[in-house]
Amino acid sequence: MAVGILLISHSGIGSALVAAASTMLRNLPLQVEAFEVPFDGDPDHLLPLASSALRRVDGGDGVLVLTDLYGATPSNLAAKLARIGTPVRRVSGLSLPMLLRVLNYPELTIDALPAVAAAGARNGVLHDDA
Amino acid sequence: MIERELVISNKLGLHARATARLVQVLAPYRCNATLTAKGREVNAKSIMGVMLLAAGHGTPVMLRVDGEDETAAADAVAGLFERRFDEDS
Repeated sequence: MAVGILLISHSGIGSALVAAASTMLRNLPLQVEAFEVPFDGDPDHLLPLASSALRRVDGGDGVLVLTDLYGATPSNLAAKLARIGTPVRRVSGLSLPMLLRVLNYPELTIDALPAVAAAGARNGVLHDDA
Repeated sequence: MIERELVISNKLGLHARATARLVQVLAPYRCNATLTAKGREVNAKSIMGVMLLAAGHGTPVMLRVDGEDETAAADAVAGLFERRFDEDS
């Protein structure tokens, strides 16, 4: 059982998060890839590229797609990607705490991981004045 | 249940990489594990949990492990602290 993780984000965000997580964890326990959508990207051209990224991380147990901003082009692209066959679950609000928490639960199924991701992001927000 | 008092000995404290190492070291064990520092007890198997301690160099922390493999888990964590989280300083 191994779910793939695909980050779909605006330029410069997903790859930086993957690089930070790789440095902290050394070896990532799941297949993780970042797909970044350029600001002037044409959604019709992006879909096949995103689809090949999805296939690269898919180990047959589904892919968790994490997007940086709900309603923006990357998350709209993720929504299209979810309709092409591979079992996909999407969570928006991508952050480093979210990614780290997902990678701390590599044994979970595609159905369990969205809640893990959401809790990771939520718990990562703290009023830091103490 | 086993309790061990440990001191954060690496220069940067329980920062992200050190925390990740700790969580990875504990992951194979089935016992529950918590760390307590500065009056706060957190799940030692959670990266964000441990980072919440914001425990710097020299901070004493209490490790509590509870479960069938608690002895091995406590030794593994104590070893990691002694090795300064496998960092050089």
